Amino acid sequence: MRILVIEDEKKVAKALREGLEAEHYEVRVAADGEEGLLLASRDPFDLVLLDLMLPQRDGIDILTTLRKRRVPTPVFILTARDAVEDRVLGLDGGADDYLVKPFTFPELLARIRALLRRGRTDRSLKLQHEDLQIDLTTRKVARREQSLELTGKEFEILECLLRHRGRIVSREMLGREVWQVGARATPLDNVIDVTMARLRRKIDDPFEKKLLHTVRGVGFVLGARRE
Amino acid sequence: MSPRRLSVRARLTLWNAGVLMLIVCAFAAGFLLFVRARLFEELDRQLLRELTTIDWVYHTEPWELKDLASESGITLFRITVDGSLRHQTEGWEREGLARALKDGGSMPAASWTAPDGRSYRVQAVADPSYHISAAMEETSFRHTLWTLAAVLAMGVPFAVGLAIAGGYFLAGRVLSPVGAMADKAREITADSLGERLPVGNSQDEFGRLATVFNDTLSRLHDSFDRLRRFTSDASHELRTPLTAIRSVGEVALQAPLDSGGYRDVIGSMLEEVDRLTRLVDSLLTLTRADSGATQPAREVVNLTALAGNVADLLRVLAEEKQQSLSVDNAAPVEAVCDPAILRLALMNLLHNAIKYTPNGGAIHVRATATASGQPSIEVQDTGPGIPAAHQERIFERFYRVDPDRSRESGGTGLGLAIARWAVAANGGRIELESEKSKGSLFRIVLPGLA
Repeated sequence: MRILVIEDEKKVAKALREGLEAEHYEVRVAADGEEGLLLASRDPFDLVLLDLMLPQRDGIDILTTLRKRRVPTPVFILTARDAVEDRVLGLDGGADDYLVKPFTFPELLARIRALLRRGRTDRSLKLQHEDLQIDLTTRKVARREQSLELTGKEFEILECLLRHRGRIVSREMLGREVWQVGARATPLDNVIDVTMARLRRKIDDPFEKKLLHTVRGVGFVLGARRE
Repeated sequence: MSPRRLSVRARLTLWNAGVLMLIVCAFAAGFLLFVRARLFEELDRQLLRELTTIDWVYHTEPWELKDLASESGITLFRITVDGSLRHQTEGWEREGLARALKDGGSMPAASWTAPDGRSYRVQAVADPSYHISAAMEETSFRHTLWTLAAVLAMGVPFAVGLAIAGGYFLAGRVLSPVGAMADKAREITADSLGERLPVGNSQDEFGRLATVFNDTLSRLHDSFDRLRRFTSDASHELRTPLTAIRSVGEVALQAPLDSGGYRDVIGSMLEEVDRLTRLVDSLLTLTRADSGATQPAREVVNLTALAGNVADLLRVLAEEKQQSLSVDNAAPVEAVCDPAILRLALMNLLHNAIKYTPNGGAIHVRATATASGQPSIEVQDTGPGIPAAHQERIFERFYRVDPDRSRESGGTGLGLAIARWAVAANGGRIELESEKSKGSLFRIVLPGLA
């Protein structure tokens, strides 16, 4: 999988390159809009990660130019401009998804996976990790054949963690996917922490092997981390 | 120089003088015409009297005609009978007044100017058999009129000149407070916003202007103060996590650690980054609200449902503290507002209540109509209450009743400020009833359904 990163901020570009390469993507970085546009129109990529604030050529401009040239590569926008108009502008301009800076890396990875997977969804109705099983239709949870009672939100958190098993899930992701709240607000973070603690009490405390882990400062992960 | 470039004083004076000039000219012209009409009227009446006298003398004592000049001062007349001259005075012949007459008929009084420049008033009466004409010199009348016109022509510019000078002087005096205000206003800068313009007479126009300006200055002063305090608070709040990040990082680099240690350090730094992110997000929300960039939607919202929804969202937090969180959803209450923004307000209020109510306490949320029928949501807690001294200020940004405790609980210090903005954006207000150690009641009051 080849990803083109168009980002002028050197540190961010470096972090993106290293983080994505660690996930076994092939990464090419363009440091300004002109170069990015050239590469994106010339070489085949599976995904373009596009910063909106660029020297020489604005991100939106690049996006519209690409779409005018009928380049079908999915475009993922990274923006520091958290105004609704900008997002709308980006999505109207033909972007496939966006994240507002500062974003958490696990969420970026999850969204990229979702974008690259698009078109061949595998929404299986049963998810499993080791001896933990959840059934999405009956909403039943069991560990070692022992049925567990979860509340609605606990179930949704567990589902989210299982879908991304082995990878870190940040609080932002949980907020967006489980509570459908995009903005970072103190109350929600506390709610997430408390709900997570309860979930852990139910699925981990009675068993010897712990499945849920907190990654300090980032989020949570189910199962051993994939290195 | 275009009229717009002139000072107000000059413009006032010019307008004044212009209007005055127009009035004086119209008056002078009218006066002249009036005097002239009266003079000629009098002249014509005298001429008619002379004609009557001549006519009478001619019919009764025709031999007396030649004595009329010496006896009655009637010197210019002529009588013809059937076209032949009967009598003609010396002056009539000398001045060639016959040329003023029109072919022998009767003629109303008319002016006629002789070749030598004298002008006469001439009138004639006629009968089939005889024809009498008489004339009177009018040069002196004309002279009088000319003199009067000359006097007026000289007087008008003089009066207008006087009006300009007086107007300029008066306008200067009247406008002098404006100059004084401008001078004072020029001296007021961001640092001396406490100063005020002098108010002469607070009832007149300039006094009111100065008062309005001073009110504006007061508001400006207040918002400058708030901004200054906010900036210093914000920089303090931003510096705290930055300092933590820096020192944690620096300390970690002093001596080599194992990978678990590094993980810990990085995690700790990321926690602070998280705090910074939240803070910046909240600040952005408020800044955007300040600049008016957020346009609240207007839709009919079921407040009872909204209250239940927010309570369900935060219920786990109350449960963690063994608090009872009850929602009174007896009667549905509706309001027109932006549900997302209002939700933000209620979330912050309820979170605040849960945070400050001790373990085992009770929190009650109720959507209801106020006594005046306005839709409202009440959040009642059994917390420590807010002392009266703090009640006004707890909605200010970064204001904390107990600075040490609040920072521990991880808040940004912006929750209530955001709540207040969110309610105000929907046209409502937040009321607070609280007594120390008796809990607090926060009430969101929204405008009624129109």
